[in-house]
Amino acid sequence: MIAVDHLGMQLQAGSHRVTILDDVTFQIPQKQIVAIVGPSGSGKSTLLGLLAGLDRPTHGSITIHGTDITALSESEMVSHRRQHIGYVFQSFHLIPTLTALENVALPLELNGDPGAMGRAKELLQAVELDDRQQHYPVQLSGGEQQRVAVARAFSTKPPVLFADEPTGNLDSATGELVIHLLFRLNQDHGSTMVLVTHDTALANRTQRVISLRDGRIHTDSMTES
Amino acid sequence: MKMPFSVVMAWREARASWHRFVFFFVCIAIGVGAVVGVGLFAANVEDAIFHDARSLLGGDLEVTSRRLLSDSARQVLDSLEAREMIVSRVSELAAMAAIDDSHNESSDMSLATQLVELKAVEDSYPLYGAIETLPNLPLSSLLSNQGSECESISCFGAIVQQSLLISLGLEIGGRMKIGEAVLTVTGTIEKEPDRVASAFSLGPRVIVSREGLLATDLLQPGSRIRERYRIRVSSEQSLTPLMGEIRGRLTKEGVGVVTFRDAQPRVRRFLDQLSTYLGLIGLTALFVGGIGVASTIQGYISQKMTSIAILKTVGADTGVIIRIYLFQSFLMGGIGSLFGGGLGVAFQYLMPLLLEGIVPFPIEFDISASPVVKGLLVGMLSTVVFTLWPLLTIRHVPPALVFRRDVDRAHAQMEEDSVFLQAQKMVIRFFHDRVRLMTGVLMSASLTGLAMWQAQSVTLGLFFMAAFFVSLLLLVLASKFLLRVLTLFPRPNTFTVRNAIGNLRRPGNYTTGMMVAIGLGVMVIVSIALIKTSLLEALGERMPSKAPSFFFIDIQPDQHDAFEHLLQQWTDKGTYQITPVVRSRLTAIDGKRIDPEAHKGKRNGWYYTREYVLTALADLPKDNMIAKGEWWEDAGLDQSSPLSSSPEQPTPLSIEAEAAKNLKLNLGSVLEFDIQGVPSYAKVVSTRTVDWGSFSTNFFMILLPGALDEAPMTYISTARVPKSNEIPLQQALVKTIPNVTAINVGDVLDNIANLLQQLAWAIQGMALLCIVNGTIVMTAALSTTRYRRLYESAILKALGGSRRMITQSLAIEFGLLGTLAGIIGIALASVLSWAVLHFFLDVEWSFQIETLAGACLLTILLTLIVGFLSSYRLLAHPPLAVLREQ
Repeated sequence: MIAVDHLGMQLQAGSHRVTILDDVTFQIPQKQIVAIVGPSGSGKSTLLGLLAGLDRPTHGSITIHGTDITALSESEMVSHRRQHIGYVFQSFHLIPTLTALENVALPLELNGDPGAMGRAKELLQAVELDDRQQHYPVQLSGGEQQRVAVARAFSTKPPVLFADEPTGNLDSATGELVIHLLFRLNQDHGSTMVLVTHDTALANRTQRVISLRDGRIHTDSMTES
Repeated sequence: MKMPFSVVMAWREARASWHRFVFFFVCIAIGVGAVVGVGLFAANVEDAIFHDARSLLGGDLEVTSRRLLSDSARQVLDSLEAREMIVSRVSELAAMAAIDDSHNESSDMSLATQLVELKAVEDSYPLYGAIETLPNLPLSSLLSNQGSECESISCFGAIVQQSLLISLGLEIGGRMKIGEAVLTVTGTIEKEPDRVASAFSLGPRVIVSREGLLATDLLQPGSRIRERYRIRVSSEQSLTPLMGEIRGRLTKEGVGVVTFRDAQPRVRRFLDQLSTYLGLIGLTALFVGGIGVASTIQGYISQKMTSIAILKTVGADTGVIIRIYLFQSFLMGGIGSLFGGGLGVAFQYLMPLLLEGIVPFPIEFDISASPVVKGLLVGMLSTVVFTLWPLLTIRHVPPALVFRRDVDRAHAQMEEDSVFLQAQKMVIRFFHDRVRLMTGVLMSASLTGLAMWQAQSVTLGLFFMAAFFVSLLLLVLASKFLLRVLTLFPRPNTFTVRNAIGNLRRPGNYTTGMMVAIGLGVMVIVSIALIKTSLLEALGERMPSKAPSFFFIDIQPDQHDAFEHLLQQWTDKGTYQITPVVRSRLTAIDGKRIDPEAHKGKRNGWYYTREYVLTALADLPKDNMIAKGEWWEDAGLDQSSPLSSSPEQPTPLSIEAEAAKNLKLNLGSVLEFDIQGVPSYAKVVSTRTVDWGSFSTNFFMILLPGALDEAPMTYISTARVPKSNEIPLQQALVKTIPNVTAINVGDVLDNIANLLQQLAWAIQGMALLCIVNGTIVMTAALSTTRYRRLYESAILKALGGSRRMITQSLAIEFGLLGTLAGIIGIALASVLSWAVLHFFLDVEWSFQIETLAGACLLTILLTLIVGFLSSYRLLAHPPLAVLREQ
């Protein structure tokens, strides 16, 4: 369960402070699939980053499985991310110097998993890229890169998965394939999943849509799916 | 075995980005190459000294004396032979060689003369090692009486250094005259195992047999001679007790006894110091390279920010990431060090070129493991040390960077602050950041440790590091200051100038790093040039125009008149001086015996152990001033007292003030001298200050006139000989008084100047590596900003900027960079050379505008060349391709 309580985030830009998020509060039960939507600059990506523990809020708290992650030290946060969080970025963010296989195996290796490569191969198979294992990111198409990123996000079987505009940089056909894989893997793993998206169709495939506007929750509703 | 994750990741990263580390490992390779090169050289010298110590000394033990040994002393040495030891006598002295023209009555002294170092050996020579001659015949046959060839006269064989054949115009088989002897040159000396040449070597070597030496009739009482008795003992015999025994039995002879283990202390010290200084310059090259390493890593990390952030998002903690990049640097440093090791080995082939004439004996250029291993370790360690600092930035890379590239708020603020406030903030941040503080301490400690290891001395290591840090600080401050000064000028109207200055001043351009690296190299190399030139100038200037051009030694009392007659004939009136001298050893002060062994190796201990040349003069020599007491007539002293053999009535003596201080003498102190076995006594009545640089004959000890009349004295003389008379005078001397040795002052000074030039050449050769590394640092720094420059030049081109305009802007930028680095380098070199000359060498610093201007211009040229070589490809890129990639 994820509990967000009075979350706020302000940033200094030059001489004035800009409020990115303001008093955001919500809960997400386990295994729920949630979409966060809203116009550009509404604070979606910042919210997702804060949920994933990639940044710290200015105020408020985030509790994931009973742990207030805003109170964690840097090293505790790292370990929390490693064990509980998977993340898919809009621009894939694969490490350019690693092959597809190595990129997928990376979080497992960080966990000291001796079977990292074996599991990474399985995941690449699951995203239908087993023939691209030894390719570097530059040798892969955008869709392929994002599939590698999806495989990487699921490699440690994280209980929570965040995806930031996972199809934002892809054409619709490729985006569809990636979403298909993302949902399938999520189903297999039974993770809680939070997506940030512009894509209404994608949002409608989730169980719940939280809409942000100017850093505040505008609407929060369950979908019919 | 499973490799740690960070090592595996380091390998994966390195596999993909090794080409970004090219400058990194070139920097390390050159630095390590310098350190290994010097290390191998030092090891080879050490090897030559230790492995060939016996052949360099010529025996297991050597007894040396500056005069012929007494019969009783000979008996002591002879008695050793009965104990199954071999004693081999070698006599060395300076002598004049001339072509023998005795068979040619018509010749009118038109033939050359040459000062030579004559050495007489016995059949047992050499006891260790081998002498190589051409033709390769037994020494005894080469040196034997070549009677059959010489018709009626006795004519011993002599082998000579090739250079003598050239200067005398002789060939093998030709004859020359030394003293009274006519000698046939039977061969040339290719390798003399026990010759340790010095800069003060007076001339080429001539080796004769003992009979040959006797035939020259050069062994006169009071002659300047070096007698060496080399002793070879059986391997079971331990040397120390034997050395003690011989010292004890020959106490009265004033001989020196050394074993092969501690022979040649001065040469050793000289070479040790040379290796140390060369090694420290090598280390400087490595440290300059360290700046390159640090800036490469800094540039690399700034390009890797996203990867680092990704690693953090997938759960890698800072420690793991720092380890990944540290291992990667370690790997690159390792490869660089290995290359450096190879380079160091290759330097060995250049070493003879740099060091020819400096190392006084032949050295085998072998490759030994320990200097190579040491170099590799030094390389790896410096890699880690220089990498660690920039890697600390990794701690501050936020994982959120992957989705939000916000401006570094603190940095943006800093840009707006004044220099003072910036510095204050940096210092506060530094002291608040405990990790950075600890790393700083660790780095300094490691570098100091490396310097101590390289210098083999704690003090020198500390001194070097202190000097290095101070120079670095001054370089950084000066470059910041000069960059600041650039902004004081009104903003230039020309775009190219404005763009160039803007590029130099922009953050992240490593301008300071480049200036420091190049400035440091310029500083080292120019300092050496300035010191060398000042020393050479001092050497030339100190020789007054009226200074004597010749020294003559070993003039026997009965030759005084004939010699003076010759001088009158060939020199102008009043330009020569003939002085009586007696060689002596100081044996007691105020009745207290001097134990030379107790003073050996101590600072200024040589005042107790040296041979003193006593003279007797009526007038206080010019350039001398009485410091304490009074000169003879002022003290009312009788001017005809002979040298006293009674301590009760010592002869009055005037002593040089420094010697008096070091020997702890006061007015009234009584000195006991040993003059060829006879004790004599003198009392200090005055002390004098002496200008030793005046090039006239100066003495530590001067006795009352008449004091030497009954002593075994000889004369020495100085004379200013007109250039055109130099050769005729020497020839006349060889013909009429052949035992007198003429030493050309100009030749001796030339030898010293040559050595100085060679030393400077060797050290500058090493310092060149600092500059090379400086330019690599510059190339590395330019390459880290390559993409930005590429992008900007593409925009300029797209907006209609011509290639010519971009070229001009680059030229101005690199030219300015070179000018600033050059100015800083030569300014600091001036300060450094002044300090060295003023505090250590007591020589006046001179403003050498040509050297300074030349160095500055060369620096500008160098930065222009390096700058263009690093950027010319930017100019060729079509703008569209670049802009599309962005």
